[in-house]
Amino acid sequence: MTLNHKRLLLLSAAASLATVLAVPALGADVDVAKESPGDWLTYHGTYRSYHFSPLDQINAGNVKQLKVAWMHQPGRSTRGLQSMPLVADGTLYYSGSYSRVFALDGATGQVKWTFFPKLDDDLVKAQTHSPYNRGIALGHGKVFVGTVDGRLIALDMATGKQAWDTKLIDSKKLTVGFTGAPLLVKDKVIIGAQGGEWPWRGPIFAVDANTGEKKWEFFTVAGTEEAKATWGNESWRTGGGGGWMPGTYDGQTNTVWWGTGNPAPLYDWAGPKWKTEGPRPGDNLYTTSVIGLDPDTGKLKFYHQELPHDAWDFDSSVGEFVMIERGGRNLMVHPNKSGFVFVYDRSNGKVENVWRLVQNINFVKDIDPKTGELVGRRDMVEGSHKNLCPAIPGGISWNAGSYNPQTNLYYKVGQEWCMDLDVIKTQPILEPMAQLNIGANFKLTNPEGGKAYGHVSGRDPITGQKKWEVKFDEPPLASLLSTGGNLVFVPDARGILHAYNATTGEELWSHNNGIGHVGGIIGYRAGGKQYIAVMTGWGSLVGDEYAALFGGPYPNMANDTGAIVVFALP
Amino acid sequence: MNQFGYLSISGLALAPALLAVAVHAQEAPRTEVPPGAQTTPSAAPHSTLAVDPNISRLFATSCGWCHQGGGRVAGRGPKLAGTDKSDEFISRQIKQGKPPGMPAFGKSFNDDQIRAIIAYIRALPETP
Repeated sequence: MTLNHKRLLLLSAAASLATVLAVPALGADVDVAKESPGDWLTYHGTYRSYHFSPLDQINAGNVKQLKVAWMHQPGRSTRGLQSMPLVADGTLYYSGSYSRVFALDGATGQVKWTFFPKLDDDLVKAQTHSPYNRGIALGHGKVFVGTVDGRLIALDMATGKQAWDTKLIDSKKLTVGFTGAPLLVKDKVIIGAQGGEWPWRGPIFAVDANTGEKKWEFFTVAGTEEAKATWGNESWRTGGGGGWMPGTYDGQTNTVWWGTGNPAPLYDWAGPKWKTEGPRPGDNLYTTSVIGLDPDTGKLKFYHQELPHDAWDFDSSVGEFVMIERGGRNLMVHPNKSGFVFVYDRSNGKVENVWRLVQNINFVKDIDPKTGELVGRRDMVEGSHKNLCPAIPGGISWNAGSYNPQTNLYYKVGQEWCMDLDVIKTQPILEPMAQLNIGANFKLTNPEGGKAYGHVSGRDPITGQKKWEVKFDEPPLASLLSTGGNLVFVPDARGILHAYNATTGEELWSHNNGIGHVGGIIGYRAGGKQYIAVMTGWGSLVGDEYAALFGGPYPNMANDTGAIVVFALP
Repeated sequence: MNQFGYLSISGLALAPALLAVAVHAQEAPRTEVPPGAQTTPSAAPHSTLAVDPNISRLFATSCGWCHQGGGRVAGRGPKLAGTDKSDEFISRQIKQGKPPGMPAFGKSFNDDQIRAIIAYIRALPETP
């Protein structure tokens, strides 16, 4: 070898080393738009929102050997850990209650850094949707997290040091903030305010990822003149409609898909006369809708209101937008809280199909699968009403299902329960204020002729055709995960994490985490090894119903604890 | 039948203290609950007086979401009917909240409203 060759080799080695060193250990160059099988870079896994990990080291053949690899106890897990952890380059990031953020070594759980924001304690105490946090976003070398006192905060991914802190909502006046995860789209961080029940206009915000500057704000309530005309008596001023869970981004059409919350008050004494009478006469756009926004401008591109004039609190805020291609068509699958699943044409938001995930539905007779039109609405006047199905927690809750592109099945929790209610003619709330706006008294009940229960099924995501189903005495409330190892993981309400054969639904493994689950679950790779990470802890708004409805372990299940538990093969 | 609505509450047992509270509220708004306004359910004789419908509405606006059946049954929050807690305790819980779950309504409701909510709770029959 000549000297020149040696110099070239050294130069090449140095260049390689420089390249390695130039990539910060904590993945500052995360690109959410790229498929990255060993990572989990955004709330829904990828923009395709499959909640699917293609890793197959853990599989149906060896899952029986799965053991706890490590845990992390964040402390102060009030109402349990409800968030979705994210992983980039072997580092796991997650948020806990009070918007606390942790960065851990994905293989060992060793703490790299922590961030505990100082929150306005009075605001934390005054909110119903508090103090939990449901997730973070990564990108531009930063971790983004919202707070219940109305701020969006960016942290340096490598150090946890605060990069910026932007106040987006006057939470003192409006009593709403952020509990949902942000969504990174190109150079913007997008986040929706929580709370359909609180009298405000549910904005969705876009903030510059690098500077923290607010770039746009879209009002889900009366965000256009057309929409304003659908709120009689200026009821748009207090319309609710928070888009409190993250949607997704379709790069092919440059569209952000987002689901919006219910209008306030939840229940409307006008009954069938809702178009002209009651506290919010009209369709109430864009509440309980799926909207398509231009991420660059915040302008509305299209919408479909899943439930015009929602009078049941069956909002569209479920954040899943599952991108499926079939027969040359680009489709989007979106579950609605009512228990119906909507399928859209991804190019224009037109309804392609609507199917039922749950059995107990009587708030409408049906939804036309071709048009999405509600058939036989049950609009309830002032007074008592029996056996409304589903109950207020919905046929579908906010946590995510999973689509497995290898089995072509969509796995989703369904909730079977009903309620009796008394619709009250409350005083209209005319100005934004710190007050819930419900409009009824109610009590959850068993469906007629049976008991309340839950199920997880594997279905065709476009037609809803069921391949298998597993029943649960109480509906699981956590997100699901499917994997390339032909597995579906279901964290249940009692605290058992189950693994099922994704093709057949046969249970293959379970582990007792010692407390219920109400948060996320992911798969990732660190140091060449596959891990499954699940959030534990109990105490969500839906979970709070379980003590009275189901009894069992729920009356005394702790609601001030929770940990992240991580599993691997030995 | 309107089982829970304010229109049907006129037949419910009601503490005479409700009147005392209402009168007191008119005379001296935004003051603390006077000792004479404290009641216990066992001390409440029956009456045919109606609960202030505005308070039934207020309860259904902001409280019934968790205290279900209008406070008559347990749900997300505890059953309120027949509670043995003192007025001061209930007032403090409403104002300051009880995390997790019970929000602090101190900035939403004034003292008159809180007193009237307590009177509403006292008027609830112990069995639904």
